[in-house]
Amino acid sequence: MKCLTVFAVIVAIFGAIVGYGYLVFTDLTRPLPKPDYKDDTYWGRGDGKNYAPDEKIYDFVLDVPQAEIDDLRQQLNRTLKLAEPLDGIAFEYGFNAYALQQFVDYWRDKYLTKWDERQAYFNELKQYKTEIQGLNIHFIHERVEEEVAEKKQVVPLLLLHGWPGSVREFYDFIPMLRKETNISDYAFEVVAPSLVGFGWSDAATRPGFNAAEMATVMRNLMLRLGHKKFLVQGGDWGSIIGSNLATLYPDNVLGYHSNMCILSTPLSILKSIYINYYPEKVLITRMFYDHHVGIWDKYKQLIEESGYYHIQATKPDTIGAALDSSPVALAGYILEKFQTCTGPALNQDFGAMVTVYGLEAVLDNLMVYYLNSAATTAGRFYAENSAKAYRDLQLDRVQTPVPMGCARFRNDLPPASDWQLRDKFPNLKHSMYFQHGGHFAAMEMPSMLYNDFTTFVQKIGLNDE
Amino acid sequence: MPSAGVTAVRILIGVLTAVVAVSIKNYRDLSAPGKRPDLDNNEYWGPKLKEPYKENKAVLPYDISVAPGLIADLKTQLDRPLNLQEPLEGVGFEYGFNSQELQKVVKYWRKSYLNKWNEREAYLKQFDHFQTEVQGLKIHFIHAKPSKAERKKVLPLLLLHGWPGSVREFYDIIPLLTTGNDKSDYVFEVIAPSLPGYGWSQGASRTGLGAAQASVVLRNLMLRLGFNKFLIQGGDWGSIIGSNLASLFPENVLGYHSNMCGNNSPLGNIRLLLSSIVPSFYIDSQHAHFYKGVGHVFRSIMEEMGYAHIQATKPDTIGSALAQNPVGLAAYILEKFSTWTNEEYKTLKDGGLTKRFTYDQLLDNIMVYYVTNSITTSVRLYAETMNPTQMGLNIDSVHIHAPVGCAHFLHELMHVPDSVLANKFQNRIQTTHYNEGGHFPAFEVPQQLYDDFVTFVKKAFA
Repeated sequence: MKCLTVFAVIVAIFGAIVGYGYLVFTDLTRPLPKPDYKDDTYWGRGDGKNYAPDEKIYDFVLDVPQAEIDDLRQQLNRTLKLAEPLDGIAFEYGFNAYALQQFVDYWRDKYLTKWDERQAYFNELKQYKTEIQGLNIHFIHERVEEEVAEKKQVVPLLLLHGWPGSVREFYDFIPMLRKETNISDYAFEVVAPSLVGFGWSDAATRPGFNAAEMATVMRNLMLRLGHKKFLVQGGDWGSIIGSNLATLYPDNVLGYHSNMCILSTPLSILKSIYINYYPEKVLITRMFYDHHVGIWDKYKQLIEESGYYHIQATKPDTIGAALDSSPVALAGYILEKFQTCTGPALNQDFGAMVTVYGLEAVLDNLMVYYLNSAATTAGRFYAENSAKAYRDLQLDRVQTPVPMGCARFRNDLPPASDWQLRDKFPNLKHSMYFQHGGHFAAMEMPSMLYNDFTTFVQKIGLNDE
Repeated sequence: MPSAGVTAVRILIGVLTAVVAVSIKNYRDLSAPGKRPDLDNNEYWGPKLKEPYKENKAVLPYDISVAPGLIADLKTQLDRPLNLQEPLEGVGFEYGFNSQELQKVVKYWRKSYLNKWNEREAYLKQFDHFQTEVQGLKIHFIHAKPSKAERKKVLPLLLLHGWPGSVREFYDIIPLLTTGNDKSDYVFEVIAPSLPGYGWSQGASRTGLGAAQASVVLRNLMLRLGFNKFLIQGGDWGSIIGSNLASLFPENVLGYHSNMCGNNSPLGNIRLLLSSIVPSFYIDSQHAHFYKGVGHVFRSIMEEMGYAHIQATKPDTIGSALAQNPVGLAAYILEKFSTWTNEEYKTLKDGGLTKRFTYDQLLDNIMVYYVTNSITTSVRLYAETMNPTQMGLNIDSVHIHAPVGCAHFLHELMHVPDSVLANKFQNRIQTTHYNEGGHFPAFEVPQQLYDDFVTFVKKAFA
């Protein structure tokens, strides 16, 4: 009888532990309800008590004073005395000093010499500014030509960049989106803003401007332009902001497409680990395994590459001061990411960036940060999204009915599988695995991204409005 | 029914016994003395050579004078309009170095400090500087001897700085160490090197020079100077390199004193974790406020270790960003002198920098990094140490039998209790706690550090 009691007690304790574990598990993994979100917070200077929004839309033309270009050239002309790379080391210790010297020389002697040409290129896409919630927002707005609008259904599209990117990433993508092609019934009226704190958009002047606030401002921008319903496409922060937009304002979003479909909820992380060991149970073909298997190595890689994230999320003003004070500092720091994202086959190669993106594109993008001294304000976005206020929203656990499309480029961050995405996006319409390509898909392979995006849009089944 | 119950209980007892047995064995393994890693005492760290390396053993006086051109260029850079963003409303140092304070620092640097640079340079030269070549690297050091008139017994002392510090941290404590007083029967002959890759010491040209290898270089330095047995005092990397030296070369170390005692062995880490969860079991109540719980430690680490993360993974990126970037370098380095002196200074708009230091002191230290252009080689130490190869040496499992003293200054980022240090420091004779001071005690409270150190030395030779 005593043995029975002991046995019963052990079973009871075990049962209690399992029960408790189950409760914790469901608490951590169940979907959360959509929060009510305040969509008119004032983000300008002061308390906004007497804020009267200026709803006008102003033309924007990039016209950098020659003195600024000359000063940059002068700064780039200082004799660099960078520490020699260690023997046999290319980019394993960060951006190679020889490569940095070469870039600085090119930037100064070749790129800046044809700055007028680059500036004219920037201005090829029509740009504007308008004030949303107290912040001046810069954006590209490219409408569809009349002849195209006659043949294709025109849908508004909000295109969102990330870090260390900018609207420049979309300069090959946007012309495709506006065109009439025979693979799509649609053409897109593109709105591509500089994120708040990036490019030519204002930055917030008080704490709290996180990715939910960013989604709100961008949604309000679209409303300002007369678009109550629109598509959203983004990578990097653009993907996260787009996801938040689809979550908080589902009535405004016709469809959401991402080229960085990650999901970091507790449930999704558990599922990632499961897929790592049992890919055959989740993925329909071996061809997809590489994207998901070897998860521990992928996490190790993430730790290797996320020092910038850690410092920007905790000390953005420190690193920002360093990067805003020196164009050479800014160049090495940002170019490191472009170099790394060329993929494992090329990322130790000194010619990788030329091959994969082209030097002009990379330097154009760098200029967006340099001209706006945006390193500090862009870095602060990381801190705001690591703050408790944002983490508590747990927006990744809130489901949205918005149709979703996912393009998984091989060398980007470890993606979520359909099995994982459906927990948040039950209306997942389309997903694709690419065996090539990396983080900066719009820059690297815009036609692939265009193909995937338009395929997704076809599948949504939009009614003519 | 009863037999099923009996079987279940038997299985459970069997499992529990196995778990306990495995734990005891593992514990025994973990607390057994670790194997001393076999490092090459003559490993060459210099640039590739065509001929076999011949070490130049000359010890020569070293002139730390700065080329006037460098000062002129620095002035030009600091004259430029600052390109900083306003801090966010209501923010002190919570987002990092406050740009308004940075403006003040830069203005002082340009208008006051650099205008009296000759005076500062003379101040830095007040001690005798030398350089000698060890394992292919030119190693710089200050050599401060007690005056010949000193009657007290002289003990050699290797004084080790860390990051983002330098030999400058020791300028107030060195005179205390070399001058006799009634607090101690000893005076000290001080060797204060710039760590390899720091200050006026050359950095390695190849990969692999981590803290363990640095300790080999510095031990060879001491032997070169004729010191077969010496004391060690250090904080930050100086603490780690110092304990590595004591682990690798027990025959050379008379005693080891640190203001940042740590134990990175597996057993140490297990105990550290447990002590964070169940502090009362590991820490005496009088000093409980030094030892924060696991939540606080984790948060602090996440909040404060961004620099270490980037330095351990992309040292050349951050190094190139800060080289020849005086404003950036000032922000990056001085942030530590604020937060690591007292975490609460994060709420202050000026980061409390001048509460414990003067701008002159702080800028002296910045200048060491700037004029030697050593920021990149200095941060590579993180990449070379915080990696699986170096961790695999498991050097902290090697028992140290030399006398050890651990000084705890309250505002240090993290404190490791004696119970956690036990397996590494087998002969810890002194543990002290001070309610004043932070990560840079030699700089901030030199008298207190000196007093603690000589009390330790007294006990060590009692």
